[in-house]
Amino acid sequence: MAESASILEARSVRKTYAFGSVGVPVLLGASLAVREGEWLAVLGSSGSGKSTLLHLLGGLDRPDRDGGEIWFAGERLELAGGRRVDAYRNSSIGFVFQFYHLLPELTVLENAVLPGLVGGIGPTARARAKAATATAHEILDSFGLSHRLRHRPAQLSGGERQRVAIARALVNRPRVLLADEPTGNLDSATGSGILDLLADRHRAGLTMVMVTHDHAVAARATRMVHLNAGVVEFGAKSTL
Amino acid sequence: MYAALLSNRYLTSRLIPFIAIGAVGLCVALVVTVVSVMSGFLDMLKDSGRRIVGDVIVSTGLGGLPYYEELLADLRALPVVQGATPLIDTIGLLRMPYPHGPTKEVAQVQVWAIDPASLVKVTDFAEDLYWRPASGDAANALHPDDPRRSLDPEIVRDGETLTQSATGRSGIALGMHVSIGNARQADGSYLPRYGWFMPGHDVTLTVVPVSLQGRISEPREQIFPVVNEVQTGVYEVDRNRVFIPLSDGQRLLRLDEAPLYDLSAAPDENGNYPVIGRTPARVTKLLVRGTPGVHANDLRAEVERVYDAFTARIKKDGARTARAPEFVSVLTWEQQLRDLITPVEKEREMMRVLFSLIYIVCAGLILSIFWAIVVEKVRDIGILRSVGASRLGVMWIFLRYGLVIGLAGSAVGIALAWIIVRNINAIHQAIGSDAPSIMWMGAFALAAVSFVGLVRAALRRRILPMLLWLLATFVLGLVGALLFFHKGTLIWDPSVYYFSVIPDQVDWTTAWTTALGGVLFSVIGAAIPAAKAADIDPVEALHYG
Repeated sequence: MAESASILEARSVRKTYAFGSVGVPVLLGASLAVREGEWLAVLGSSGSGKSTLLHLLGGLDRPDRDGGEIWFAGERLELAGGRRVDAYRNSSIGFVFQFYHLLPELTVLENAVLPGLVGGIGPTARARAKAATATAHEILDSFGLSHRLRHRPAQLSGGERQRVAIARALVNRPRVLLADEPTGNLDSATGSGILDLLADRHRAGLTMVMVTHDHAVAARATRMVHLNAGVVEFGAKSTL
Repeated sequence: MYAALLSNRYLTSRLIPFIAIGAVGLCVALVVTVVSVMSGFLDMLKDSGRRIVGDVIVSTGLGGLPYYEELLADLRALPVVQGATPLIDTIGLLRMPYPHGPTKEVAQVQVWAIDPASLVKVTDFAEDLYWRPASGDAANALHPDDPRRSLDPEIVRDGETLTQSATGRSGIALGMHVSIGNARQADGSYLPRYGWFMPGHDVTLTVVPVSLQGRISEPREQIFPVVNEVQTGVYEVDRNRVFIPLSDGQRLLRLDEAPLYDLSAAPDENGNYPVIGRTPARVTKLLVRGTPGVHANDLRAEVERVYDAFTARIKKDGARTARAPEFVSVLTWEQQLRDLITPVEKEREMMRVLFSLIYIVCAGLILSIFWAIVVEKVRDIGILRSVGASRLGVMWIFLRYGLVIGLAGSAVGIALAWIIVRNINAIHQAIGSDAPSIMWMGAFALAAVSFVGLVRAALRRRILPMLLWLLATFVLGLVGALLFFHKGTLIWDPSVYYFSVIPDQVDWTTAWTTALGGVLFSVIGAAIPAAKAADIDPVEALHYG
């Protein structure tokens, strides 16, 4: 795949978590550029700051004061207001988590549609919800879950839950998918199926950032970087 | 849209919101029921009061009001006046026919000397006469000892005219509770007590005339046959008041028409002073009833205007032997009965305020339940934030949840209050009667079933089912025992409280304001947990649990 301009970028990002009066630095100036259309794997050991970097890229968290910059499509996210960042999380990116994070009270279809129900008011909201429902049906069908639409997450296997979580991340047709150990809670066969599914989406043009501690999983990405002691190292690369 | 979806799912997927709805409903039902019954009593009291005294009362001192017939004619000529009647209001002593130790019982009474013919156009005096003969099915439905089964039909007319038709003597009508002879029953009816059915017995009324100068004259007494008894609906009245004909009252109190002597002249050979005229008869009160639709305050203004014109006319007329008092009290029925109404009104407001404190319980309950729900739902909040939900959006989920609980709880409360209030007399009757065997047997049977459940749970070594079955066995057994030993508890004893029925109309103004309060305090209770939910850090939330 031809290289293109970066769509999402972290520049010298620092993040420190406070535990009482003690500050624990997690990212010490991590920089990373995600190019449009690539599947980037961020590899690192536990506690290296992979998830923190993903949260910062996804607008779930903000860097320290004067702790670097997060850029998305030419916009500085860390300076954006709360509403803008909410809209960014809703429409521009999609999150996939290791533990699926589905809402237990909602059905498979409702979980998948959820981002489409967020934002907008009145007729706009109804139109969005309608469109999201159609998209969710389409994605869930393509994931082989059309017979599970009315089931609750507790009635699904781990692989099915993760597929629902991916459907939810894709329902608003985001530009970037952020996946945090998407196979970390699955057996290798099921995990492989999930990676196949992600690979299909990547082939369809979706930009993806996946953090993992598993080299075999990271090997499925088009590019790999290491996060070590809070700093991104660009030593290793892999291509499909 | 997600807020509606999640609120509804959180509401319907667990038991605790229904407990909250039930609690809010009970709070609302409690306030609405209590205040409705209190308002009903107040309305009954006001209604009874107005029926007793008319719309406007003109009162003078003990010297009385002369030329009252002229004033009555002026008032009756007003289009806003339906009727006007004179009366004398004084106190007296009534010697009863039944004994009190070696003598006869003597009671202090309020004496109303009335003109029955005009009084019935102003008050419900005729309808308030209690003793009326019953016949046919109505008579058969009465208690075997109820005198109404065998009354002389003349008793009603005797009461209405205050004249004993058999003898032509002036009669007296006693308030229902003046004598000891009437025992009030649970259904509000009366049976004779100690064998003293008063109509037909003679009583002796003693009153003390007072001169225009305020000097007390020799007490005067008269024997009256009791012609009927009066139940006005206000205990204070029925315990104290007796009714005699106006002419008798005027004579006894020296307020009747009398010769006017010239005391400055020399007396004749018999020691009598020359008569120079006649002093007019007097009364101490006039009662006025307005035509339907006329407000008592407007009528009062009209009566004052007429009275001013009346006094001016009397004053101008040199031929008059008496002057009308320049200052009289002209009050509406509400002002006149203020002493009676105000305490009940204050009591109702106090009840309203005290019971409204229950809102705080309501808000506290919602707060604690929602706090627990928010803590349980921390990860959900993180997930919602990850898909773009705003902090306000998260807050709105829980506020909306509180709103729904408040609305549903208030609706349940109003429905419950409506059922209770509309059936309050039946409920009261049921509490006042022995429990039917089927009820205590049913309770014991259910307790036995619960005990079987308890044994099964014990055999399976399950603690929670054991506890629940144990509680069910205990509660149902207790209910069965209470029903078995329940032999009727009359909470609202009509012989103690005046009204024979408990008001059964919902005070809708109170109902809606209470419902609004229930909703408001539910939302207030939900606001703090909702704000906490909005402040939860999404990254921490995703790692929660």
